[in-house]
Amino acid sequence: MTKRILTRLGTSVLVLWGAVTVSFTALHLTPGNVVDVLIGSSIVTPEVRAQIIADYGLDRPLPVQYATYLGRVLRGDLGQSYQLHESVATAIGTQLGPSLQLAGATLLVTVVVSTTLALLTARRRRWIRGLSSGLELVGVSIPTFWAAILLLTVFSFQLGWFPAVGADGWSGLVLPVIATSIPITTMLTQLMRESLELTLEEPFVLTARSRGMSDLGVRLRHALRHALVPAVTLLGWVVGLLVGSMVAVEQIFSRQGIGQLTLAAVTGKDLPVVMGVVLVTAVLYVVVNIVIDLLYLVIDPRLRSAA
Amino acid sequence: MPSFRSPLAALAILPILALTACGGGTPPAQTETAGAPVKGGSLVFGVNTEPLNLDPHASPQDVTGLFTRPALDSLVALDDQGGIHPWLASSWEISPDGRTYTFKLRQDVKFTDGGVFDAEAVKTNLDHIVDPKTKSQLAAAAFGPYESTEVIDAQTVAVKFSKPYSPFLAALATAYFGIQSPKSLAEGPEALAKKVVGTGPFIIDAFVPHQGITYHRNPDYNWPPAGAKHTGPAYLERLEFKILTEDAVRLGALTSGQIDAIASVPPVNVKQVEADPRLAIVRKQAPGGNYNYYPNTASGVFADQKVRQAFRDGIDFATIVGKLYFGTFDPAYSPISPATHGYDAATETQWRHDPTGAARLLDEAGWTGKDAEGYRTKDGKRLTVRWPFLKSFAREQRGTLAEQVQAEAKKLGFDVVFTDVTPTDFAPKAIAGDYDLIDFSWQRADGDALRALFAISNIPSASFFGQNLARYKNTEVDGWLSDALATTDLADRAALYAKVQQQVNTDVAVFPVYVFNYLLGVSKNVRDIAWEPQAYPTFYDAWVSKA
Repeated sequence: MTKRILTRLGTSVLVLWGAVTVSFTALHLTPGNVVDVLIGSSIVTPEVRAQIIADYGLDRPLPVQYATYLGRVLRGDLGQSYQLHESVATAIGTQLGPSLQLAGATLLVTVVVSTTLALLTARRRRWIRGLSSGLELVGVSIPTFWAAILLLTVFSFQLGWFPAVGADGWSGLVLPVIATSIPITTMLTQLMRESLELTLEEPFVLTARSRGMSDLGVRLRHALRHALVPAVTLLGWVVGLLVGSMVAVEQIFSRQGIGQLTLAAVTGKDLPVVMGVVLVTAVLYVVVNIVIDLLYLVIDPRLRSAA
Repeated sequence: MPSFRSPLAALAILPILALTACGGGTPPAQTETAGAPVKGGSLVFGVNTEPLNLDPHASPQDVTGLFTRPALDSLVALDDQGGIHPWLASSWEISPDGRTYTFKLRQDVKFTDGGVFDAEAVKTNLDHIVDPKTKSQLAAAAFGPYESTEVIDAQTVAVKFSKPYSPFLAALATAYFGIQSPKSLAEGPEALAKKVVGTGPFIIDAFVPHQGITYHRNPDYNWPPAGAKHTGPAYLERLEFKILTEDAVRLGALTSGQIDAIASVPPVNVKQVEADPRLAIVRKQAPGGNYNYYPNTASGVFADQKVRQAFRDGIDFATIVGKLYFGTFDPAYSPISPATHGYDAATETQWRHDPTGAARLLDEAGWTGKDAEGYRTKDGKRLTVRWPFLKSFAREQRGTLAEQVQAEAKKLGFDVVFTDVTPTDFAPKAIAGDYDLIDFSWQRADGDALRALFAISNIPSASFFGQNLARYKNTEVDGWLSDALATTDLADRAALYAKVQQQVNTDVAVFPVYVFNYLLGVSKNVRDIAWEPQAYPTFYDAWVSKA
């Protein structure tokens, strides 16, 4: 067990080190003077310029620069965004909250809706399954961007149930969450139904039924557990997908968030922010993967003994 | 010659201005006047872009003017005809040599943070604009040959220039010269980027990037510019700008009645909004340089004036613009817009669409061959036009427009090649003159925009990134432009600017494309939105009827 945890930590550190190294390399491979790249399209005084050179050790050999950069990141100093007039840590900090709120709500909705749908439709009559999988196909296929506009048009502009933009609190969160969860919910439902159906054909299910267990009981107590393992794997991958769809959703609903920050940073060539976002995303992935590994242990007792 | 603080500063302006340009001219088509203005209430305005930095002294984006105007007043006010009126300055005198402007200030003005508005505050502001630490990208450039400000007494201040500079008062009237509280200025650029404090009719509550900005009324306000419809505090209790970059969302928010007004109605939806009995469209033409194409007159195929003229006259720009924008933008005939003081209407008949003449000109220029693909050739070389196009910054379907021009040019035998560039590699190309055609708009509420576009000293170089991307060199035109700087007589300046427009059209140093119109969509409940000459709406007189 200890060995397993150590390996896990070791690989996590490796991933983060890789992310730092990649962003350092990107900075140096970008055409142009590194100072100019860091400053982007902003204008700074010679003093600030000198300060940047000193901070990043740009007047010293490359290995020293690399060590300086690593040291800064380790101390939690992600640098300064000269375009946003604030430090990268502050910029990301203020935008992280709304993004986590959206991502958290989306994951919750996704898991609850997919599980319910999968449980209700697996091995049911043909038309139920057909209807469900047809809807899923549509859900997976429509771009988040378009779904968001459609939701706004119907539920905000026509029916007036939800505010179009910038509302605080839950009413403003409903449409963005639906828009972001549509593709991943449908994907997850499909996956879970398929593995549920496979499980429901296993002999132990027949045994359970022969013991007189209700259909719902079989599905909940025996089959679901089996369907959850691949679902959790998929969810881990989905978190990455979320960052992408958030760019569109945040823009359309005029929400603050990492998506908007990244978009502005990439188009404005604000490299310190881009590098910061890369690091934060790497940390996010590492955390999500650890959580998933722990969830495997919770779901599948066999893995516990193996560990 | 106004030079930018640093070549880098100037370099950053161009793409940003080109994409956030804005607009002045037609009187606001206000809805029927009904009863006395209602006090109180709030107005929500959906805008399509946002400032990265709220300090108008520093920011290169003209949208910063829109965001800070409610909170900041200027020393003087500019009207649509180019006339200057008192605002925070009650009167002024210009010395006979045109180098010193002496302002008498109003005595009853207070900053919203309690500070006193006096000559010292004015000096602090003007010096802040040119302070290298401010890194001003727009205001400092518009300040020209500014030398210093001298406080004569608490209510009198003298602004000195090293050379006569007639566009000064027009520049001073813009929000980029908005007077800020010295106390707030002292907090430094980081704080100013998020909040500015002035003497204006509204006070900024909070600016949240990507979401919007909120203001509340300044209850002590009693110093509106001459020309305002009322005195005393603003009618609106609250004012809010929401940032809605998505066209469909902005439009939907207006048509569903969730917000009261929107900026930049998409041209394709203008008819739909006009058909709605609850809504109206208000158009305001932007002053300054139109959205134009500028040929490189110094090298390449367009160094030959006949080839330039063939391109301009051979392509039916007016029809392309009319069809693409459904008639919401007017085709341009002069480098500057009809809303600019000094616009010469005679340019409208100076040249016209003439494909046969264009073909004849190309023959005369020696481009008589035809290759397999139908392009004209000369000595085996194809008639190729290289056009660095900033796709990521193209707004108002300028990309589609460019493609239609490309197709039309092909009929004439031109091979128009787009090089998709990013802002980073655009600048070196522009400086080196490594292009045949370039497109941009250049808003400014003064005919002096012509100097930015055509003065020899404004040809981009390694040390100075000017806007004369046509690389146009005409010493006679330069003479007229500097004569215009030396006189403050509006008629004299207009006559000089007319000569410049005629001459650059004769020399085909510009292909005028379209005149940008600010398309404001408003609910009919909203009354009396006024306009800055720079063509953005102002809200001091605005009110919302309860009906």
